[in-house]
Amino acid sequence: MWWRSASFILDHRLQEDPPNDIASSSKEPDTLSKLSPPQTHSSFMAAADPFNPIPNPKISAYYQTRAAHTAVVTSDWLAQAQAAVGHHPDDSPAPQTQLLASPSASGKSFCVINEFNNWRKQPDLAEAVAAIRALAAVIRASEATTMMELEIELKKASDSLKSWDTTSISLTAGCDLFMRYVTRTSALEYEDFNSARSRLIERAEKFGEISCKARRIIAMLSQDFIFDGCTILVHGFSRVVLEVLKTAAQNKKLFRVFCTEGRPDRTGLRFSNELAKLDVPVKLLIDSAVAYTMDEVDMVFVGADGVVESGGIINMMGTYQIALVAHSMNKPVYVAAESYKFARLYPLDQKDMAPALRPIDFGVPIPSKVEVERSARDYTPPQYLTLLFTDLGVLTPSVVSDELIQLYL
Amino acid sequence: MPDVQVLVNDFINKLRKRKIEGSQATSRQTAELLRSVISQTRVPYTNQAGALIDAVRAVGEQLIAANPVELAVGNIVRRVLHIIREEDLSLATAAVAGLGLSSVSDDEDDSERDNHPVLSAAVVAAAARSTLRPPSLQTLLEDVPDSGAVPHTSSSGGDSEGKSKSADKSSRSRKLKHDVIEALNELIQDITTCHELIAEQAVEHIHQNEVILTLGSSRTVLEFLCAAKEKKRSFRVFVAEGAPRYQGHLLAKDLVTRGLQTTLITDSAVFAMISRVNMVIVGAHAVMANGGVIAPVGLNMVALAAQRHAVPFVVLAGSHKLCPLYPHNPEVLLNELRSPSELLDFGEFSDCMDFGTGTASPLLHVVNPTFDYVPPKLVSLFITDTGGHNPSYVYRLIADYYSADDLVVQRRPPTAS
Repeated sequence: MWWRSASFILDHRLQEDPPNDIASSSKEPDTLSKLSPPQTHSSFMAAADPFNPIPNPKISAYYQTRAAHTAVVTSDWLAQAQAAVGHHPDDSPAPQTQLLASPSASGKSFCVINEFNNWRKQPDLAEAVAAIRALAAVIRASEATTMMELEIELKKASDSLKSWDTTSISLTAGCDLFMRYVTRTSALEYEDFNSARSRLIERAEKFGEISCKARRIIAMLSQDFIFDGCTILVHGFSRVVLEVLKTAAQNKKLFRVFCTEGRPDRTGLRFSNELAKLDVPVKLLIDSAVAYTMDEVDMVFVGADGVVESGGIINMMGTYQIALVAHSMNKPVYVAAESYKFARLYPLDQKDMAPALRPIDFGVPIPSKVEVERSARDYTPPQYLTLLFTDLGVLTPSVVSDELIQLYL
Repeated sequence: MPDVQVLVNDFINKLRKRKIEGSQATSRQTAELLRSVISQTRVPYTNQAGALIDAVRAVGEQLIAANPVELAVGNIVRRVLHIIREEDLSLATAAVAGLGLSSVSDDEDDSERDNHPVLSAAVVAAAARSTLRPPSLQTLLEDVPDSGAVPHTSSSGGDSEGKSKSADKSSRSRKLKHDVIEALNELIQDITTCHELIAEQAVEHIHQNEVILTLGSSRTVLEFLCAAKEKKRSFRVFVAEGAPRYQGHLLAKDLVTRGLQTTLITDSAVFAMISRVNMVIVGAHAVMANGGVIAPVGLNMVALAAQRHAVPFVVLAGSHKLCPLYPHNPEVLLNELRSPSELLDFGEFSDCMDFGTGTASPLLHVVNPTFDYVPPKLVSLFITDTGGHNPSYVYRLIADYYSADDLVVQRRPPTAS
């Protein structure tokens, strides 16, 4: 592995040089990302103008969504963010959404990325759902008269979506899934092109419901696995896991939850907030206290950003080490993930994915010579996972590849 | 149907009192009982499948509740439900095909078939077919799930029938019942012959001069070993006696009468002997959906010993032992505690265990669990009547034998009550 040899210093310098050039021309994004104060979603979204869809190459769009949906917004963060943005007309992101939406709606040139950006700002919408909604908007705006034309147009749109943010797995998976559905739904099966087209749109609109229903199914399936008196370790903020625990609490199960802090976005804090609202006994851990508390834990519950072909998962940074600790202590690791997160990826190791970068606030200035590992997620191989709860049922990791092969072969 | 109720109650009593032993006998008798239930059920004109399913489910619930540890009962109930659904579907598709033929004269021409009634019928049939399959990524975007589960399947049959002549109705209802009973007979046949089917594969797995270890007694294992012997393989068998019931003694005796080199060892000697063993072959009580095995007590230890010395651990199981449920805390919930008399002689130890003499609870406790849970990672291979399978493949077999609706619906009432 080349990056382990001493030549990495040279490589690093080579990599560093071009960004320095760019930094001199447009200084703002680079400084922001490097040693900047943490930012809230409002600053991210403000930077994302429709004509330059990738505002800050150092922070992946994937991470922006995560941050917008799950970041804990504290008062000092807000203050810092406002300082960074300057005087923005509106503080709340909601009017901004309309601001962005209006040109794309009224303007003649339709841009799938704008559409996607609009959708993904909705806090309760998964990214795959946003992608499929955006593709549905493409169908609606298209002037194609045959299925073939429509398919080509959709293909272009989904390719541009995928290339716009290569780091987001569920975006890619959602696009692939919908494309697959479109190719399978031929106009022949319906009477004419128009009815096939309206059906595609209708299904895409319904996909949001499907995703919500998927969460409920997962919550139902996992109830049997949560027994009275158990202790559950949770990492990161996952809507599915929250739904699972919510349902368990509604079913009058008695359990307690350990939440990791989830540095640096502190997603665990928000998760523990939600659980406290449900009157579930919850304890916060710092991320490094996982091994210390593992012997008290009965099961580990995590969500997933993507489930890959090997049956492993890609999830928030720290999942891998939690799975390793749990495996060595013989604790089951359960993954709750909707089936539209199944992605056709086969990462061989941790570095075998496009890294999703994020800013990290250490509280003190870091000297520029010190490198910071800023990847937002890691890959957990299947042998460390016990079961996956999906809307397709309770699956062992090896079933995932089977499902994917059935769909795409 | 009073006589059926008598049969059901009789069977439930036997299950409760543990009069029926072994998953093969249990499953065969369950299937036979359900066959008589079905033949006694009066089916209405519409929604025959629904009526049959309801009848079977009502009986099945009682049977499962009678002995929840005997998973074979639940398996067979689910298998029967699946058979009913399948037969109903094949009849419905046949009806749809007949309809298509009658309404469209020329069915060779694809463009002709695009007219409305045939199309909708085809779509309905496709939807019904997909309800039998477990949900998959393919059907995620299609709008069949759950609205078109049981009632949909049966109503689709009713729809197509409404268009055909009423004379068809009675013949069809009789046909459904007939087909189901036919399929059930096949199932019973499969259960009785599963030993032979498994034993047929013995030569592929047992080689010349190998040493095989087994624990306790299982009829499947006995037949498997004898089949290899009949094919002129010479090999040695180590039999662990299988305390506390010592069924290994009986197995050893049977093997010797069939002319096999046999060595009897104690259960605690498994680790000492495992390094000389080429393969461990054992029977099972049930195989769970994740590939874990509910097996006679002591087998987890054998499996661990086999893993320690990289000896293949092979489990023989007929398809009626495949259980579509996932084990939750199986060591406790799927276990049964038998009488302490198997461990201790009451005469000698009655003083220590006597509740009458002392005021407090007795100091000596005897716990005699029947089953072990062997996690899937310790199992190398499952040999079923359909061939050898990896533990991670078990879910696939289960998808073939059971329909997804039955797992959930069947499980809810017993847990709720």
